[in-house]
Order: sequence, then C-alpha cells, then structure tokens
Amino acid sequence: MKPFDRYRFAVFGGLFLLVTATASQVAQAESKHDFLVFLSADSFETFDATDPALEGSDYGVTSDFLYTFNSDRFRFLAEYIWTDEENEMERMKAGWQINDQTMTWLGRFHTITNYWTTEYHHGQYMQTSISRPGLEEWEDESGPMPSHVTGAWFEHEFPLDAQTAVNLTLTAGLAPIFEGDELVPFDVLDPESGNEMAYSARLVYRPDVLSMDKIGLTFSHSDIAVVSDSSPNLADLNAINLVTIGLFTSWKLKDWRLSSNWVYFDVDMDYVTGIVKEDFLLGYVQAEYKATADWTVFGRVEFGTDEDNSQYLQLFPAVITHRHMLGVRWDFADSHALTMEIADTSTQGSDGNHDSFKELRFQWSAVFP
Amino acid sequence: MECRLSVRARVSLVLLTAILTLTAKMAAAEEAVVLVVGIDTTIEEISLLDIRKAYLGISVSLGGGTVRPLRRDDDERLNNIFMQSVIAMSERSYERRLLSLMLRFGTPRPEEIDNRDQLIRRLAERPFSIAYMWKSEAEADARVKVIKVLWQEH
Repeated sequence: MKPFDRYRFAVFGGLFLLVTATASQVAQAESKHDFLVFLSADSFETFDATDPALEGSDYGVTSDFLYTFNSDRFRFLAEYIWTDEENEMERMKAGWQINDQTMTWLGRFHTITNYWTTEYHHGQYMQTSISRPGLEEWEDESGPMPSHVTGAWFEHEFPLDAQTAVNLTLTAGLAPIFEGDELVPFDVLDPESGNEMAYSARLVYRPDVLSMDKIGLTFSHSDIAVVSDSSPNLADLNAINLVTIGLFTSWKLKDWRLSSNWVYFDVDMDYVTGIVKEDFLLGYVQAEYKATADWTVFGRVEFGTDEDNSQYLQLFPAVITHRHMLGVRWDFADSHALTMEIADTSTQGSDGNHDSFKELRFQWSAVFP
Repeated sequence: MECRLSVRARVSLVLLTAILTLTAKMAAAEEAVVLVVGIDTTIEEISLLDIRKAYLGISVSLGGGTVRPLRRDDDERLNNIFMQSVIAMSERSYERRLLSLMLRFGTPRPEEIDNRDQLIRRLAERPFSIAYMWKSEAEADARVKVIKVLWQEH
C-alpha cells in the first residue's frame, strides 16, 4: 500500500460525495447512514531469532473508519484506514440488491478468496487474535495472495430449506501488479499502470443462516503484471500467472470456534529464459475457546508444504509460513478488548532452512460508537 | 386500647386479600411481549424465523416490501426478554453479529429508538417496519396492531 497523498484522497472523497448525493436523490423513502471507528494500539517484540536482524520491537496505532449508506436496494460502503505508517481507502464499493438473495457491487473490495480478510477486513476488534495468518497478510506485509481487486462482484444465495443455504460469489476485476518486493493493488489515479485481470469464485455452504458456521471452496486466477525494473529480483521476470484453490471453514462447537483456510498455489512465472512452474500449499487452523463471557483463549497453527525453494515466495521479503501461537483476550466495557499473544514463527526458506524467531504482542482494540 | 375485629370483618379481610392476590397473579399472567406493525401495513403475519432473520440482518421481503426491524433501548427488561426469547443470544453476541454484518456487507443495523411514542410514529411512517413491545402498550394504542405474541409469562 502506498502512503497517503492528497490527490488520492480528493478522488475518493469526490467519488464518495457523488455516490452518496446520487443515492440520496434516488432514495424514495427511507435511507440510513452508519459510521463505525475501529481503534487499536498494539506493541510487539521479536526475540530469540536465528538472525539477529530480525529482533526488535515496535508499537503502533490504527484507526479504521467504516461508512455505510443504505437506501431501499442501494448500498454504499467505504473503509478508510489510518495508521502511523499509512493512510488508504481500503474499500469503496456501491451495490444494488436485486432481491433478497442477490447482490451486485462495483468498486474496490477485498479479495473473496481470502477468508480471514473478508471476515474481519481491518476491524481489528472483530478478530480474536492480534496477528493475521501469514497466508492472509496484506499485500504490503508480504502477503502472497492479492488482497484488493477493483471491479465487479456478483453474489447469490440458493436457499436449500428455511435455514440452510449455499452462497455463490463471483468477482472480476483488476489484479495487483508486482512492484519492488510486494503486490501493489490497482491505483485509480494511475489507470495506465498495466494491471491485468483477476477472477475469483467462492462457494459457501451455510448449515444455518442464523449462525456464523460455514464451509467454503474458493478459486482464483490472477494475471499479475511485473514491473521488471523496480527490483533486481524482478529483472528477468515478465509476468506471474497465479491460480489458487482454497478450502475454508468457520465452525462453532459449544464454547469452541474453529477457523481454517487451506490454499493450494499453482504459479507460472514467465521469465525471459522461460516459464518456471511451481505449486505449494499454505494453511492454518485457529481454535478459540470461550472460557467465560469475557475471557477467550486461542491458538493458531500455520504451516505449508512444498513452499520451500518457491521462487514466487522468495520475491517477498518475509512470508510467514510456520507459526505456533497462543493467546488470551479479555473483553470489557461492551466494546473494548485487551489481547496478548506469544508465537514461535518461521519464514519461508530453502532446503528446510528457515529464519525463525519468537513474537510477543499486546493490543488494546475497540469499536465506536 | 385494644382493637378487636369481628368475625365478619376478619372473613372479609381474608377474602379481600385472596381476591387481591388472585388479581395480581392474573395481571402478571397476562404480561406478554408482542410483535407489532403500523395499522396501515400490508404485513399480516410473519414467522418467528423471519423475525429472527430480519433482526439478524438477513433481508426478508413480506407484503410487497423489505421488512425493517426496529429496536427499543428504553426498556432493559423488554430487550432482555426479546434477546433471550426471540434472538436466542446475549446482547453482546448480538451486537457483535450486527457489527460483523456491517463490516462485511454494509448491512444496516436495526434502528434503535429510545421512546415508545417515537417508535409508534416510526411504525406508522414506515409500513414495512416491525417492532416489539409489551402487550399492554400495544393494546392501548390504536396506531399499531399486534401480529404475533413473542413471549408470555406463565
């Protein structure tokens, strides 16, 4: 993600006002605005590292602003994140609800194949843990999957009976490009940046639409253009063709909730010298135990297979592929939480050699109003 | 000075106490929470499942329009009964669910109203709105009609 600039803010701000004003005009009866602010402050320390350069500590503050507008069947959503390191319009999309089961959107949104991302977005308070799985890190945090796509979204729910349903989502839009050492989403202020297309599909089975339980399959195909002169690592690389197939679930069993996502990567890297093909699997399982109404104990295991020596993953500075994490969260005062996490973490390596380190994190998170 | 009640007076007192107790019990037995709509609405009936769906942010169409749920935040006991009997989750879990839906899909949260008269006005203005209230409140106002009993004290 790129730093804040006034032009981007002006474009998104103008678009936001235009959409809202238009929607207000077409609204025949009732309309509703809603606004949320997710705040968090966290600190982390890495220690006991195989490479001393990986040791250190830091802290940060994040504000995530969410605005929604609803009028009859029109819907608008914007999410803007503001941290001590970056400012960006994360999502901005306008939607039309065709009927109770069908919804379409246009705009910039989070990729539907990333389960964690589409569940929590940037609402840190909403996710039980502090850290995200390495598989689903944001693009500027060495995330190996595209997180943002600009384009069209179609969603339909097929009711199987009164409370059971299958949900199908299809998206098509502009994929990120690979620049420097990260995937860079489409920039509305730079439409000539050479972004290719990304297509995604998600099929979700919901045994009870009133609950959050679900199990789903995902598929994506992204043509990723490469800015070859942006990094020596990309000098001979023309393009990346990335296909992912995923299986995710979120299931509640009494006081337990299990969340998991497994993604198979099939990558074609188009070098000047020829195409390099590779495939590997990354995934995680997170378990959360609600010990009391206010206390939750959780843990997550992340690992991959055949990801060692992946030339694709080596383009990123630090892809987390293995992590064993434990944590505890205390919810208080309606919408505040204090969380602590400790983890043993490894980055992607080669021939079984990984950089590893331990992490200790603390966080306060809340949502207003 | 000694005060003595006659046998007749004692019997009368016992009977009066019994009648008052019975009346109070009958009144308590009638305490109920009902689902109401505006008097001009086209919604004639709604299932408990559809009520739960509407309050959990799932789009429900009835009577030619999309059902718009309204919440009360001026009566804690009424809210608690509604949460336990209809939504079947704690207030915190419910709020978290609504936040999640808004964050993921921009789903609007049910409008919260802190005044009964305002609630009734809103029901009258918006024909596809539904709300919950005490049965005694609903029966005392001709601008709303009861379409379902949600909870009744036994």
